[in-house]
Amino acid sequence: MSGTLDIGGSQLDASWFLLLAAALFTLGAVGVLVRRNPLIILISIELMLNAVNLTLVTFSRQLENLEGQLFALMTMTVAAAEAVVGLAILVDIFRVRDLEDIDDLSELKG
Amino acid sequence: MAIAVFIVFGLLAIAGGIGVITFHQPIRSVLSLVVVMLSLSVLFLLLSAQFVFVVQIIVYAGAVMVLFLFVIALLGPARESARGRLRFQTGLSALFAIAFFGLLYAMLQGVQYRQPDHTDMNVFGTVQSIAVGLFTTYLYPFELTSVLLLVAAIGAIYLSRRDES
Repeated sequence: MSGTLDIGGSQLDASWFLLLAAALFTLGAVGVLVRRNPLIILISIELMLNAVNLTLVTFSRQLENLEGQLFALMTMTVAAAEAVVGLAILVDIFRVRDLEDIDDLSELKG
Repeated sequence: MAIAVFIVFGLLAIAGGIGVITFHQPIRSVLSLVVVMLSLSVLFLLLSAQFVFVVQIIVYAGAVMVLFLFVIALLGPARESARGRLRFQTGLSALFAIAFFGLLYAMLQGVQYRQPDHTDMNVFGTVQSIAVGLFTTYLYPFELTSVLLLVAAIGAIYLSRRDES
């Protein structure tokens, strides 16, 4: 079974969308690893969540099954909750301490 | 036509993703992420996910991004030191990225798709069909997400309170 999708008369392959999602996820992972500004790390996490959403919606379309889209909506809710709590923690940390970057938060290092 | 839309907005999403991790001012990273989200919303529409398309624009490109912009305005300019303390970090993460993307690419080469379910594509992804799924089969998880949002709201209020004592 090939993953060809018929969209408005054009033939697109589902693997193109999956490859795009993989590229976006990798970019987000690199952002988390390379950047040291905690805000940009949170933004990169949002990028990864969006890439996963694209995968879910692509498979939903390929299988002609709505469950992928429902799951994408759940992911958006979790992402919104994560952004709210993460940013609140960040603002709290910046209020108490003057950070140069995320590497300054190393008290728990063994 | 659909192929052109996919190529244009796919490249736009990749460009935005590169912008997110390369810009040094957080505000530019956030605006790049808005570009990624709007491009992805167009791709959702291409995949006949109309409701997800609208929610993506309202919730993500609207609400979450405004939240990020507010926090950036609150915290002031970025104070990211020019060089990291771990010098091998960049090289190691480049290696990781190549390995990880190579793994995903290799997996996609041999992917076997299941036979589609043959639902009626005229109502696929509309508000009505999404609502039927959310309020019948997935009612329990749907109610749990409302509890999750309540917990997140209480947590954010608790974390951002001023110490009176």
